Amino acid sequence: MASRTSKTLLSLRRLNIPAFGLNNAVSRVTYATALSMNSSSGKKGAPERSGREFGSRKPRREEGEPRTEKMLLDQDWTAVYPAATPFRAGSVPLPVRMGYPMKGGVPPEKKGNLELIKIPNFLHLTPAAIKKHCEALKPFCTEWPSALDTDAKCDEHFPIKVECTDYVSSGLSVRNPSARIVQLKVKLSILNLDDHARKKMLKLVGERYCKDTDVLTITTDSCPLRQQNYDYAQYLLTVLYHESWKTEAWEAEKTVADMEEYSWEGSPSQKNIMDMLLRMKVAGEGEGEEVQEQLLARSEVQEYKDSVTRLKNEGDNESSVLQYKEAVKKVFNL
Amino acid sequence: MAAPTTLRRELLPLARILGGISHLKPRSLTVCSGHRKCSVTRSHLPLTPSTSFHTAVFLSSTPSAITVTEEPDTLFQKVLVSVKGHDSTVLDSYEFFATMAAKELGITIGKVFEPPKDIERMTLLKSVHIFKKHRVQYEMRTHYRCIELSHITGSTAKVYLEYIQRNLPEGVAMEVKKTAMEKVPAHILKPLWEDVPTEDKPSQ
Repeated sequence: MASRTSKTLLSLRRLNIPAFGLNNAVSRVTYATALSMNSSSGKKGAPERSGREFGSRKPRREEGEPRTEKMLLDQDWTAVYPAATPFRAGSVPLPVRMGYPMKGGVPPEKKGNLELIKIPNFLHLTPAAIKKHCEALKPFCTEWPSALDTDAKCDEHFPIKVECTDYVSSGLSVRNPSARIVQLKVKLSILNLDDHARKKMLKLVGERYCKDTDVLTITTDSCPLRQQNYDYAQYLLTVLYHESWKTEAWEAEKTVADMEEYSWEGSPSQKNIMDMLLRMKVAGEGEGEEVQEQLLARSEVQEYKDSVTRLKNEGDNESSVLQYKEAVKKVFNL
Repeated sequence: MAAPTTLRRELLPLARILGGISHLKPRSLTVCSGHRKCSVTRSHLPLTPSTSFHTAVFLSSTPSAITVTEEPDTLFQKVLVSVKGHDSTVLDSYEFFATMAAKELGITIGKVFEPPKDIERMTLLKSVHIFKKHRVQYEMRTHYRCIELSHITGSTAKVYLEYIQRNLPEGVAMEVKKTAMEKVPAHILKPLWEDVPTEDKPSQ
């Protein structure tokens, strides 16, 4: 079964290896090969289909021994594979076998093995080659400043973190639209904000602030270019900062429902406890504000105030409820 | 075999001009405080890849012109390089290459880990026309590998990433997440309303 006509890359048919003139063993294995069976038939165009006369074909060139025979043990491998190239069985002096072993057989050898050619090889990136490349690249690198060895120091001196992503993939286009997204992260404790400014900033920013880590994250993707998005993020940070220091006229209309934290002064809880204590107390003490102040100054009332504030702010956990219980018992002398 | 990647692998990257030609004024590396680093702008490095594989010369003898600029180098606290591909052995080799390159260039490697693979399966009809009961199933496996580098300067990051990306094998995609750190800009240190108390507040 001399198959001398196939010249396509993926020819799945029975190979008769003697057709190559290399190996005398006849192995009937169905494998795809990359080597063209007859290089001469590729040189002819149309006439090869009509008939193959022995005279019209050019004599096939004798194939010499592979280069691997002549390779020295201490050769410079970086010269054999300096750049990324497909696998060449005649240039790699390794007895590599790849493929599925058929019944009673072994994985096929490297000669004419398409599996070895398909897979990306790293023969051009041996440790020796990497070392050579890095030696050449070393002068272009700069050193990290030695004063910034820990993350804490980095955060202290460079608190703003800007995150952006690059994408590399093969496809019809180099560009990836997700590469324009810029994320700016900053801790609010770094910024110079007073109490009112901080509260206003948190209200302005809303979802972008994480309470646990005290980090404000500004993500911008509205502009088409990364530089534009970065500038926009910086602009947003500046605007937020300056606006939060401003006090507008309508901010005076802030109601109890808008407050971020519970404050006990002026709350129904204070009124209730004052009324209770006044009624419980002997009416002999003078009425009016002096009594209120005296009562407030009491340590039990202060404790009660602390426990109620804690309960409202933190929610119901065991310790806060216990603290409330103790404070109530003390106030009413139970 | 695979579609040619747009960043072809070439020997010794840095064939692009990084704007170094314009900075021709000789500037010395000025005294840097502990926190700022002068960036080293690279100019065109004439390294020719050898096309024949019989020669060993791939370093040209002409000296490269490294120019140094005054602008401070960006500092990256963390650079996360994550590669994904269909074959985990290819990613293994690539990981070995990337980690070795980082070690040779003196870059601190944070951690190297392998997120779990994703398998996308689809069940399609085997036949073109009828035979609903006979289906065929395919699956696509995507393996991932992540390398985290920490405390790397902008110039070094450029060099390393270009080297890594030029040697990315076919069929492998990469995502690089860079976290740069910066100082608080000067215009946010103080609110500007302090200096101009008589400025009219804009109407709501």
